[in-house]
Amino acid sequence: MSPLARARRIAAWVLATRGQLALTAAATIVAVVVVGLLFAWSGVYNIAASRGHLAITDWILRFGMENSVKAHAPDEALPEGQDEDRVRLGAGHYHAGCAYCHGAPGTPVSPVAAKMLPPPPNLKDKVGGWKDGELFWIVKHGLKYAGMPAFPSLERDDEIWAVVAFLRLLPQLDRAAYRELALGEVEPERASGAEIAESGDDQDAIGACARCHGNGEGPTSRLVPLLHGQPAAMIENALRDYAAGLRDSGIMQTAATDLTDGAIRKLAAHYAGLPRPEIEPERADPETLARGEKLAREGDRSRGVPACLSCHDEQAIPTFPRLAGQSSRYTEGQLAAWRAGLNGRSPTGRIMAPIGRRLTAEQARDLAAYFASVTPAGQPRR
Amino acid sequence: MKVLRALVLGTGLLMLTACQRQSALAPAGEEAARVALLSWILFAGAAVIFAVVLVALGFAIAGPERIRRWLRAEAAIRLWGIAFPAVTLAVLLGYGLWLMRETVANPRQPEMRVEVTGEQFWWRVTYDGPAGKPVAEANEIRIPVGVEVEFVLRSADVIHSFWVPSLGGKLDMIPGRTNRMWLKAERPGIYRGQCAEYCGTAHAQMALEIVAMPQPEFDAWLAAADSPPAPAGEAVERGAALFLASGCGACHAVRGTPAAGAIGPDLSRMGGRRFLAAATVPNTTENLARFIVEPAALKPGSLMPPFAILSGEERQAIANYLASLK
Repeated sequence: MSPLARARRIAAWVLATRGQLALTAAATIVAVVVVGLLFAWSGVYNIAASRGHLAITDWILRFGMENSVKAHAPDEALPEGQDEDRVRLGAGHYHAGCAYCHGAPGTPVSPVAAKMLPPPPNLKDKVGGWKDGELFWIVKHGLKYAGMPAFPSLERDDEIWAVVAFLRLLPQLDRAAYRELALGEVEPERASGAEIAESGDDQDAIGACARCHGNGEGPTSRLVPLLHGQPAAMIENALRDYAAGLRDSGIMQTAATDLTDGAIRKLAAHYAGLPRPEIEPERADPETLARGEKLAREGDRSRGVPACLSCHDEQAIPTFPRLAGQSSRYTEGQLAAWRAGLNGRSPTGRIMAPIGRRLTAEQARDLAAYFASVTPAGQPRR
Repeated sequence: MKVLRALVLGTGLLMLTACQRQSALAPAGEEAARVALLSWILFAGAAVIFAVVLVALGFAIAGPERIRRWLRAEAAIRLWGIAFPAVTLAVLLGYGLWLMRETVANPRQPEMRVEVTGEQFWWRVTYDGPAGKPVAEANEIRIPVGVEVEFVLRSADVIHSFWVPSLGGKLDMIPGRTNRMWLKAERPGIYRGQCAEYCGTAHAQMALEIVAMPQPEFDAWLAAADSPPAPAGEAVERGAALFLASGCGACHAVRGTPAAGAIGPDLSRMGGRRFLAAATVPNTTENLARFIVEPAALKPGSLMPPFAILSGEERQAIANYLASLK
């Protein structure tokens, strides 16, 4: 019997047997897997990013990505109207975390990033095609197979919404407007060729704290804390905790990770020594301020909340931050993080975490309003 | 031989309990004496009845036919199986109620009052101080000897139970309720108590001590409550400053200083207490420093946050300061 005839007889037997359909299906799957493994093992496939995708591959990947994002994204949207504080915070982070790959007005895409596959798109043309919730989801979770990373801290949705608020504005920005938002008062122009030759052309000033926190002036956004005159030990601890991932913030973890110990000490000493910029204390209705002040001075024994000022006034050890004169939006945002059970891993966080969890949303609002209404000297100006 | 050894050891253990500062068999107060008397009557009665049952059992197995017939007669079962237990228990109940008439007594004018509030996992103590000002303490209750003291028992969170066996029976502390009990210590001494109602993680580590002292000593002790010793010595002064600057005063009070927190135990006379962490850890500066850095290591479930931010030297300074408060 010839081999062909034998194979034909075997095939006929298989087809004639009970469960022939299942058997065929199983055999097909095994064959596909084996062939696929053989293909991968052979090295025939060219993995080179330089070759690009086939048009059909590109279409399938994009089709799948768009549908996946639409299916997973939340329905939430940014509130109507432009929120300056959010936009500036988002711009500050965009400049440090996103511009390297996506470029920005006046900041070209790095040639290295441009050769990724797929190449990171210029967002100016892209953001219009997505809803707020979809942008939020992409920034938060990143995209598989595209090299788009997830946000460094998945706990801080408030920071991600700030980035989305900025992205909404991005298409309308020219170079000057963008740099005003993202660089603030920082003017990164090196004086001499020798300086550029030795230190690099620092025109992006990505690691510059003053882009958001200010230096001669106060912070660019009320969502950013005022560091001027805070104790150096507190700033050092905060930077170390961010760098070690013990405190939750995608923005500050990005900023603090590659600081050397020496740089942390110098930075802390610098901001500790800065004079407080002239910032008008915030106003709020007297009842809110009275409730906030009472809570700050006496605590709320029924909820096990001690008086904030026991640790957060000018006389406390330098490990604790001073809260007087901090913007209400910043303080309320931080208290929201404590209330959500975040930040409880660092040595200072383990002290504040149980207290923060006991605060109600209303108490957090009252406290934030109170601390924003007073100056560090502790004199309420109403 | 084995049985004999078990008997000897068991009896020894039982006798040991009577030596302890925390034993219902070693009464040191009227109330506890009544409980102990009732207990001994029960033990003795039960022993006699047990012996009679054993003898009856012996006769039932191997006794003369006449006695065995009498034992299995219906009349004997009616008499010893129904009538005897009913009468005995009724008499005991009546006697018990009569004994306890003092315990559940009608309202009376106490010579002295102490408020005790059970909290997870410690005891907040408040005296009526001189000039009617309340004096806060924690976990160690001082009382004068020979004076009937009214204990006003409350709870701040869950159900606890106040029990100092050498001085009296136990009474639950129930959230939203005020219970009262009256205890009198007949002689000076230190009587240990224990939370007697499961209240959470550190229930087993929620103990207290009642220190009974002669009236003049007690009066002097209470009168001195308002005049805490000034920090003396450089180390203690540094500890006092650190205590305030580190925020300890947010939850703890030290009379005469800006520290006025009422969330945690009052520390005005911390150095005078025998124990830390609700009568469970000896009060030494080493243990105080350990408690500051990681309270949960000495007291599981403690609500105090860990102060690992303080250096070893800073902790020791605060511990020295607390130890100086007497």
